Amino acid sequence: MTLKRGPVKRRSFLKSVATGACALGLNFSLGGLVAAHAQEAQFPDLVAVRGTELTRMFDKALEALGGLGRYVKSGQTLVIKPNMAWAQPPSVGANTNPVLVSHIVKNALNLGAKKVYVFDNTCDNWVGAYRDSGLEEASKDAGATVAPGNTSGYYQEVQVPGATILKTIELHEVYLEADVIINVPVLKHHGGAKMTAAIKNLMGAIWSRGPLHRNGVDETLPDLLLYKKPTLNVVEAVRVMTSGGPRGRGTSQYLAANMLIASEDAVAADSACAAIMNTAGISTPSYIELAAQRGIGVSNLDTLNIQRLTI
Amino acid sequence: MRKIVAFYVKWARRLLAYTLLVLVLIALYLSPLLIDFLEIIAKLQFGQIIGALFSIGPLYAVFLFILYGLLTMVFGRFFCSFMCPLGALMDLVGILRQKARRKKFAYKPRRFTQVLVPILVLLLFWVGISLPFGLLEPYSILSSKILSYLGGPSLVFFIVLVLSYFWGRGFCNSLCPTGFVLSLFAKGSIYRLAIGDTCIKCGACERVCPASCINFKEKLVDYGRCVLCLECKSLCPNSSLQYRRVLEPSEEGKLVRRSFIRKASIGALVGGALVTPEALRGGFLARPRPNPILPPGALSIAHLNAHCSSCHSCVRICPNHALKVSYLSSPLFLGKPVVDPYLGFCQYDCVECTRICPTGALINLDVEQKHIFRLGVVHFKREECIVITQGTSCGACAEICPTGAVTMGPGPLGRDEPIISWHHCIGCGACQAVCPVRPVSPIWVRGLAYQDMAAAKPIVAETPDQVLTEEFPF
Repeated sequence: MTLKRGPVKRRSFLKSVATGACALGLNFSLGGLVAAHAQEAQFPDLVAVRGTELTRMFDKALEALGGLGRYVKSGQTLVIKPNMAWAQPPSVGANTNPVLVSHIVKNALNLGAKKVYVFDNTCDNWVGAYRDSGLEEASKDAGATVAPGNTSGYYQEVQVPGATILKTIELHEVYLEADVIINVPVLKHHGGAKMTAAIKNLMGAIWSRGPLHRNGVDETLPDLLLYKKPTLNVVEAVRVMTSGGPRGRGTSQYLAANMLIASEDAVAADSACAAIMNTAGISTPSYIELAAQRGIGVSNLDTLNIQRLTI
Repeated sequence: MRKIVAFYVKWARRLLAYTLLVLVLIALYLSPLLIDFLEIIAKLQFGQIIGALFSIGPLYAVFLFILYGLLTMVFGRFFCSFMCPLGALMDLVGILRQKARRKKFAYKPRRFTQVLVPILVLLLFWVGISLPFGLLEPYSILSSKILSYLGGPSLVFFIVLVLSYFWGRGFCNSLCPTGFVLSLFAKGSIYRLAIGDTCIKCGACERVCPASCINFKEKLVDYGRCVLCLECKSLCPNSSLQYRRVLEPSEEGKLVRRSFIRKASIGALVGGALVTPEALRGGFLARPRPNPILPPGALSIAHLNAHCSSCHSCVRICPNHALKVSYLSSPLFLGKPVVDPYLGFCQYDCVECTRICPTGALINLDVEQKHIFRLGVVHFKREECIVITQGTSCGACAEICPTGAVTMGPGPLGRDEPIISWHHCIGCGACQAVCPVRPVSPIWVRGLAYQDMAAAKPIVAETPDQVLTEEFPF
């Protein structure tokens, strides 16, 4: 190949070589899954927005990611999986803020989503948790279908490909049925797992949590991402509970992180969350690194294209 | 004309009673949505009110007892025919019997044995042995889960139902403690069914009377046993059987004075029950071992034994299905509600069982009190915890603990393990319920024989929220 054919051709040549090398490199390090992302390289891997108004922060984050329309197409069924495990009011920060969930529901319906489901397999009694979190009312008002998740009948057993410990899990029927899954956890301290955000929130999409506790939460959590990954993870980290979690007590302390993190990669989102929690003296839980080692996601944020925005 | 009226009155009575029965049965066994309706019905049941009187019970119960007493002294045992759902069911069975043209009912004189059982049952209840009362009180029979199968009615319910086919309302006048107390009030009631002079002694009334209280040969009605079902009245060929004031006003006065002694003695008994200290009324005989976890507000085994009518409204309403019927902990504790954390745990913010209890066996608690109301204390067998045995991270108990009595902290093995702080534990059993180790959880709650208050939540000065030192820490 010669370089004498002119500057324009040379530039385009260099560009194509660089892109190819990039794609190749990513292929080697991260596997085929991320290669698909490389084709849409104009969008960031992770967006972090600082602000206090959740609806505006969400809009800003999704704008950077190319709009919610990139994920939700007309006629599709959508599941929003918030954290509504606890019979605690929104002020405690134990559940996802209903403002955010209701905003996502409305946006999805505006985009022509056929049906939007909201559910959780709660820890406290489900009636109290759905009610006190304010999420049942907010979601219903926004037009979503709030699905119960309180008995095993709502869950179906599935084989998990590539699982190391959890060979089978029982996933909620709407989670299985959905075309698109938006995981909307709240970031907070967790007495058992140190921290809970995107990956840990998926424990509310399955029925029996005993096997996870029995075999080690850190070791088993990555398996939850193998059968059906959330399409998008939106982590609410505005007023982050830093002690007394996950339920929250009168003595709980908080960190005003004023952030919203959005990413297609739950591991990357959790990794960013862990960085926030580190500033409050909470060490990084090992399930994030274990998931990254198995190629389920990326935990090294330096290798990712991160967009940091402030409102 | 009178016959037509009597016919309509009979059917109006039946309709009212059957409607109540159907609603109660639907609420009990088909639709948990009607549980609030049950709460009202249970609290209006005379038997449950008697149960409530055996405590320094809810004040409304004292008021209702007096109200029912006065009304019964005037009108007779209207409660048994209009307010008692089990009575309505017995009447339905009675209609079946009529249709089947079995042997008709016949008058039986009142016998000493007929008052023996109810008196014994009430006395036993008074000394803190409430099992017999729970087995014989009509509303408890209908709603109890004692020896019930697949969530259906209890075995006693079916036995009573079959009995009523052959015995009519015999149960109400021989075994039912509620009916017994009401019969004391009803004897010498001012309005009553009476056979007039025009009677031709056809015997139609006696043959249809499920309470076997009409003696047509002597033209007498035993008002104490008459449950006012009104089945007889419309059958009287020349309407000589009437519900009316029978006595002259002066005689009425005499009657009231005479029956006053009887009624005063009931009052004394009830009053005595009210002032007798609970400690004396024991329940020591019925003390189960080892200590079960009593429902919130039960206070102590003695208190629960002295007031619980085994209606199991609490078991029914518990949203976490944490309450079950005790069978094996002690023969005399049979049928009492207990918390079983293996079924579910006592929800931190929930006071439903204390709200619905019709007898005051579970005292009312508000949510603030419930937060520190202690049912038991957590115990931990560290060497069997999977964090120790398998070296894995779990933390299920610490995650669910609402008070911070169980937290995860660094242990000697260099990894986080459950740390117990007894003075904050309220014994809700959440840790035991979620612990993945089965069949026996290494973290479990032992019930308190005397419920008390846990150490209040630590009061910390309101600390301002921390802020991020850098705009984006990643």
